[in-house]
Amino acid sequence: MEEADRILIHSLRQAGTAVPPEVQTLRAFTTELVVEAVVRCLRVINPDVGSGLSHLLPPAMSARFRLAMSLAQACMDLGYPLELGYQNFLYPSEPDLRDLLLFLAERLPSDASEDADQPAGDSAIFLRAIGSQIRDQLALPWVPPLLRTPKVQRLQGSALQQPFHSSRLVLPELNSSGELWEFQASPLLLPAPTQVPQLQGRAASLLEHHASQLCQHVNRDCPGDEDRVRWASRVPSQEDSRAPQQRLHKQLIEHLRQSWGPLGAPTQVRDLGEMLQTWGARAMTGVPKGSRFTHSEKFTFHLEPQVQAAQVADVPATSQRLEQDTRAAQEQELESLREQLASVNHNIEEVEADMKTLGINLVQVETECRQSELSVAEQEQALRLKSRTVELLPDGAANLAKLQLVVESSAQRLIHLASQWEKHRVPLLAEYRHLRRLQDCRELESSRRLAEIQELHHSVRAAAEEARRKEEVYKQLVSELETLPKDVSRLAYTQRILEIVGNIRKQKEEITKILSDTKELQKEINSLSGKLDRTFAVTDELVFKDAKKDDAVRKAYKYLAALHENCSQLIQTIEDTGTIMREVRDLEEQIETEMGKKTLSNLEKICEDYRALRQENAGLLGRVREA
Amino acid sequence: MELSESVQRGIQTLADPGSFDSNAFALLLRAAFQSLLDARADEAALDHPYLKQIDPVVLKHCHAAAATCILEAGKHQVDKSTLSTYLEDCKFDRERIELFCTEYQNNKNSLETLLGSIGRSLPHITDVSWRLEYQIKTNQLHKMYRPGYLVTLNVENNDSQSYPEINFSCNMEQLQDLVGKLKDASKSLERATQL
Repeated sequence: MEEADRILIHSLRQAGTAVPPEVQTLRAFTTELVVEAVVRCLRVINPDVGSGLSHLLPPAMSARFRLAMSLAQACMDLGYPLELGYQNFLYPSEPDLRDLLLFLAERLPSDASEDADQPAGDSAIFLRAIGSQIRDQLALPWVPPLLRTPKVQRLQGSALQQPFHSSRLVLPELNSSGELWEFQASPLLLPAPTQVPQLQGRAASLLEHHASQLCQHVNRDCPGDEDRVRWASRVPSQEDSRAPQQRLHKQLIEHLRQSWGPLGAPTQVRDLGEMLQTWGARAMTGVPKGSRFTHSEKFTFHLEPQVQAAQVADVPATSQRLEQDTRAAQEQELESLREQLASVNHNIEEVEADMKTLGINLVQVETECRQSELSVAEQEQALRLKSRTVELLPDGAANLAKLQLVVESSAQRLIHLASQWEKHRVPLLAEYRHLRRLQDCRELESSRRLAEIQELHHSVRAAAEEARRKEEVYKQLVSELETLPKDVSRLAYTQRILEIVGNIRKQKEEITKILSDTKELQKEINSLSGKLDRTFAVTDELVFKDAKKDDAVRKAYKYLAALHENCSQLIQTIEDTGTIMREVRDLEEQIETEMGKKTLSNLEKICEDYRALRQENAGLLGRVREA
Repeated sequence: MELSESVQRGIQTLADPGSFDSNAFALLLRAAFQSLLDARADEAALDHPYLKQIDPVVLKHCHAAAATCILEAGKHQVDKSTLSTYLEDCKFDRERIELFCTEYQNNKNSLETLLGSIGRSLPHITDVSWRLEYQIKTNQLHKMYRPGYLVTLNVENNDSQSYPEINFSCNMEQLQDLVGKLKDASKSLERATQL
């Protein structure tokens, strides 16, 4: 039974009961432990029921009673077949407790089925990792802000956080040369991380720089999304936004200097400066979007001088007229100059149009010239042919024969050349064919090899994939192994189970032996009783035959009958004693089991509880009455 | 973990025993970690006599590449085995991998703290106090007779070391709703831990 108890206690521990290590059997279970074990099991089996019950035994009698009653009810609801009352929990007897706990342990969900339900794969690992992180964080107690270590600070949130602020890094390039190399090699260019003074800034800048490098790489692969790169490189660098602002500043100064130069009122210089500063401030507030900003800036830049002019027009009252005069003169001059410019422009345009038409004419003429040259050459050729024929005409027949000779000789030469060519051609052709066949063979071979190599590549890749997958599975299994409880000695349990099975087999053999013995005994008894009957019948007949004649024999016959009757009575009594003995043994067993239930002591305890309850009630009543 | 081409080239140069002998490698690695984690790390980290013999451009390039690699590894929370396989791919020998991994393992916590300190997060609620009020009437209603709750949340702010308070008032249903939501949240947290 100890083995069974140990297995039972192990499964109770798995359900969450804190069974102290010195408790090895169910006999050592205290009332508190029993209640805790039952409540924990109930919580695992049916969380809705279990969560309403406390696993701590309350001190007050009535509360104990109520808890025990609800526990009994919950167990009955689960389908516990035996009788169960509150005394089974408060005053547990060993066999009852064993039955109850075995029943509950059987109802516990097994781990194996749970594992099978869980989804495998990346998401499961990920979720489990999240779960373990949260568990760790929940296990940490809250620490006041001043006592936190850096890690706890990060978890519990008083670590100083800084926004992601990156600045542009200058990295040396390996393939630089000349002056650039000199600069990059000199100590003037700091190593990349130390270009930013703050640690967070360093990390942020490096990460950003790396991300933009990656982006460019991706962009090279797929040229479609250039926006991303532009976006990536533009977002974080705060310097960029400052650049257009400075440009604007410079432009404004330039423009103002040009348009206000001739007036040169020294009193306004200071105002201008201020104005510029306020503009600068305004520009500062409207920072980020590059192109739109410059547009709007251009608008303001055209508008502002007019406003400025209006403002300034009020200010210097005395020098106004003089200014107007000069301005009129300037405007006149400007007008005349503009007219001149317009006329000159017009002339230039006319000349350009002329040039264009002339150019076109020139090209046409050139093409015509080329065509006529070509026709002249053709005609010259024809002329030469005709002049030769005319030369040959006078001595017609002789020349014809000569010509025929020439034609024949040339034909023969042609045939000769053809045969020679054929002579050369045949071996060359054969060689060519041979080489070509070789080439084909080689190509076939190489393509076969290529296919093999590709196959190999594929298999290598597949193997690598497989290895990675296996590695992941291995990792998952290792993590699962870590989460599994360590104290399960499966082997020991199986060995014990095997031992128990062996014992049972031995016992069964013994039982069959005993059974066969009994059967033999029965047979013997039967044969003996048959023999007895037969001998008795024979004797009876013999004696009865003689009894009619002899008086003494009659007496003997009477004695024989009496003997037979007495003997059968004796046998009957022996059988009766046997059955009574069996009954006695049964009854003794029953008594033992009843004794094991400790009914009497339990009854006494229950009576005591009843008394305590009544006392409590009386006290409460008294208090109510007092109140 | 994915590294850009230039960083990979830097790391591979770092792995090459012809460019960096083991002493120089250890020095450079340490310098890279220090430049990331120690604000007082000076620019003279690379002026060690051992490193003087190496081309300064290559040296700086490798330094930046090592720092980037470390940061990326920290960002992805790469464990030791993954890191070592990655370095193996970059042709590091066993000894250097060992050194890199131990340095990484030693500095992992501070690296995480550093990366964690970049960014923003919501303020943390550390305490709550509340007061019950009973509204008898308002400007609009003659008879009101309703309870209201004035709740003050004490909050820790991460961006600046300040402890502002958040005040709001709500009626009973809203408060119940809030409490129910909070319970839901804690329950789902617990459920997440039981996976």
